Amino acid sequence: MKHLWNIRRAVLLLVAAVLLLVAPAASATASTAGSSTANAGTGWIRLAHLSPNTPAVDVYLYSFGNPDAKIVLHHVGYGDVSPYLAVPAGEYSVAMRGAGAAPGSPPVLTASAWVQAGSAYTALAVGPRTDLRVRVYHDDLSTPSGRALVRVVQASMKHPQVTVSWGGAVLASKLPFASVTSYQPVAPGDQRVAVTSGADGAKSAVSLTAGSIHTLIVLDGAKGLEVVNLEDADGSSQLPQGGAQTGFGGTAPRGPESPLPWLTVIAGGVALAAGAGLGLRRRRFGRALSSAA
Amino acid sequence: MTTRERWWAAVAYAGLAVAIAGTCGLMLTSHGTPGLRPAAAAQLDTQAAFPAPTAPIVAALPSGQPAAVAAPATLSIPEIGVSTRLTSLGLTAQGTVQVPPTTSVAGWYSHSPRPGAVGPAIILGHIDSLSGPGVFFRLPTLRPGDPVYLRRADGSTVEFVVTRVQTYLKARFPTEEVYGPTPDAELRLITCGGAFDASTSHYLSNIVVYATEAA
Repeated sequence: MKHLWNIRRAVLLLVAAVLLLVAPAASATASTAGSSTANAGTGWIRLAHLSPNTPAVDVYLYSFGNPDAKIVLHHVGYGDVSPYLAVPAGEYSVAMRGAGAAPGSPPVLTASAWVQAGSAYTALAVGPRTDLRVRVYHDDLSTPSGRALVRVVQASMKHPQVTVSWGGAVLASKLPFASVTSYQPVAPGDQRVAVTSGADGAKSAVSLTAGSIHTLIVLDGAKGLEVVNLEDADGSSQLPQGGAQTGFGGTAPRGPESPLPWLTVIAGGVALAAGAGLGLRRRRFGRALSSAA
Repeated sequence: MTTRERWWAAVAYAGLAVAIAGTCGLMLTSHGTPGLRPAAAAQLDTQAAFPAPTAPIVAALPSGQPAAVAAPATLSIPEIGVSTRLTSLGLTAQGTVQVPPTTSVAGWYSHSPRPGAVGPAIILGHIDSLSGPGVFFRLPTLRPGDPVYLRRADGSTVEFVVTRVQTYLKARFPTEEVYGPTPDAELRLITCGGAFDASTSHYLSNIVVYATEAA
């Protein structure tokens, strides 16, 4: 009976050991993957003076409720456009004073702008001097695949209406002074921009690449109409899709291997031991019966 | 005990021995091995990068059109010991950026803006090979403020500054945010990270380092 007892006890111990080993591994399936949702917290704003008969101004950009100006642009004249200024997301006020006026003097004009992270804005001073106003536009930062985006700002006071075309495409027809079109997708390429108003007009070669975003500004120049091409943003001419497979796993952490092969070996051993134990018992039982007979 | 009984007992002990050996095997292999990859740097509060200025920033008005820049030739990131030439990458049939042909060299996606021109220039590098670290092995340890230098084909250099380091599951990769147009000169350094799926032999995530041209 000693053998039987030994075998039974050993099998029970083994089963307990296997359960202890496998259970934690099976429960350790917590996901470690995740993406940080931290925001860059930065947006862009640029400022432009597009009022033909308004003298040069100093432009102040204040973080809302903060009397210390974050950014000051000095002596901004008609047709001047600042580069995009990267600023923390938040609410801002734009104030304009006559060029050289004391920073504490009452501004000629103010406007507020809400800058969101990852977004770009253009604050335009537009209209005649008597009706000067600041308008803030949200600039697009994405293009339809393989296309360019373009919009038109009409800042010519001498020509109350202008028609603007790019190649064969009419971008704006009879656009009134101090107005701005929305962005339009166009086929990329090198074309001629034509601005016409009655007998007056201007032409300019403009290159629009796929993935780029532009603003065309129509101005009163010294010799009639002028057109300025601003590149608002640029990206890939062919926008890639999704991420990339940039690793082969040579340095990856290795998870536990599958316990299945070892469990099979253990089960086989246990089955063998149990079967032999049963055979041993039947053998003894038979011997006891025959000796009793 | 008869000979038969002894035989049965021997078989039973043999079965036990097999089961014990199996248990030992299970014990030896049930623990994973740690990876070689360094842990990602802690995210800094990006707001800290923009202290309120004590004096106003006086911005200059642009003087004419920006000059055209040459194609990039080499990349160097002193903080993590990266110094590599750049291969030129196109698109795969699936529309993803091609990956560099070797794990020791990074590549520039040639349909993205040239580094220093307006828009996000896209650069890819492997985190590892089948056997060890790749050129962007330590990319995840970069932190906001770290400098990145690119030398162009004409010998000029342009400096970028890391603004943030993000991890995205490839299944939820924000294509527009990473590759979409920007109004300023930016850089994206991309490699793999996160969990490794042995069944597909791919990492499940991408690490994207965002950088902007130094002022």
